[in-house]
Amino acid sequence: MTKPSAMMDRTDEALADLAAHPPAPPAMSGAFDAVLAELAPVAARRPWRHAAIVGTVALAYAGGLLAVIAMRRDLHELPMGWLVGVGILWLAGFVVPSTLALVPRAGHIAPRWRAAAIVSVVSSALFVVLGLLVHPSGPSSGYLGPENFIRGHGCLELGLATAIAPALLGAIFLRGSLPVRSRWVAAALGAGGGSLGGLVLHLHCRIADGMHVGLVHGGVVVVGALLAALLLPRITDGPLE
Amino acid sequence: MAADAKQLMEQYIDGDANAFRELYALVAPKLLGYLMRMTRQRASADDLLQQTFLKVHRARAAYVRGADPVPWIYSIAHRTFLDDARKHKRAIVRVADDDQLPEVAAGLTGESDDRRDDPRVDPELAREAVAALDSLPEQQREAVVLTKLDGKSVAEAAQIAGTSVGAMKVRAHRGYEALRKLLGGGKHKTAAAPSRVVRDEAS
Repeated sequence: MTKPSAMMDRTDEALADLAAHPPAPPAMSGAFDAVLAELAPVAARRPWRHAAIVGTVALAYAGGLLAVIAMRRDLHELPMGWLVGVGILWLAGFVVPSTLALVPRAGHIAPRWRAAAIVSVVSSALFVVLGLLVHPSGPSSGYLGPENFIRGHGCLELGLATAIAPALLGAIFLRGSLPVRSRWVAAALGAGGGSLGGLVLHLHCRIADGMHVGLVHGGVVVVGALLAALLLPRITDGPLE
Repeated sequence: MAADAKQLMEQYIDGDANAFRELYALVAPKLLGYLMRMTRQRASADDLLQQTFLKVHRARAAYVRGADPVPWIYSIAHRTFLDDARKHKRAIVRVADDDQLPEVAAGLTGESDDRRDDPRVDPELAREAVAALDSLPEQQREAVVLTKLDGKSVAEAAQIAGTSVGAMKVRAHRGYEALRKLLGGGKHKTAAAPSRVVRDEAS
């Protein structure tokens, strides 16, 4: 749909005139000459490679943690479908937000902050609700209940300790790539790391009451996302400050 | 522009200083126009332009081979402007209740020296357009500048400003309608109509 070129709106005419007469930029300042005189090649960002590194390091770190703290005692008493299904969901909760945070669309530099934001919010809510509603137990499972809810804080700390590795590494790889909306991308890294923490807790913690599984295990994703949104932009935005 | 900018950016991160100079020459005029419309001050825009390119230099390792660097550079300029505006809390010029446009300082249109010989369609209209643009709220002004002056698609403009496509579409539409109200929508006979401006209006 175009207007006949012979009859232009006054506004279009003014805008076209402004567009056709861009200002003359000033000469590059002397600061650039000094910098460019010592210009050295740098390696470009390789998003898929960085995502693979984050995934490998994070899974090795989580596996190492599990080896140290041991698997849950009631593992063989729980429904295999729930154990595997929820385990895959936790893993997907790590892989999907982390990939969205680290890998931009083809031909772009900045990652998909909007998709990362949506996935962060959805996964945060999903794991809390899932834990509150579905939490099977066996004879060896533990129970804290509302009165001892606060005693479950160790799980939150373990989950966040697991989340640190992928979130921090991802933020380092994203340095300078996020001029806008870096908090949302950081939140996705935190939610992804938190989900990995949730996976470790899923395989380690034998406490099987809904409040603990939902609010503490699921809460690791929420707290991970919030802390990452608050702290990681200090790393990602460094070159842009 | 994108293909050239891509090539220059790749040569630049490979250590070619001349490629950076060429990239500056390619991107700076439009980017300065964007910053001038956002800051409404030539001196501030010049300063922010230099800051933007210094940040591009510091963050050059974030470049992904094969990507168009221009939207990313614009995003850095957008952020640089916002950071600066927050620091200085610029006074916002608004249109008075009687719809009269504020005065525009001489030279604020800041047209390129090599364009001085190009005949403007109507210098008075250009001054009015600048004053009208400057009177728009910041977000609408940015949307109009990006989509109508710099030829960005709505999706590209949204990416630059860190907002959704829907929000950018609304801002551009409202800004354009406000401009029409300020400048008047009367038809003018003209010899040539740059297709980009007209095409974007339709989108």
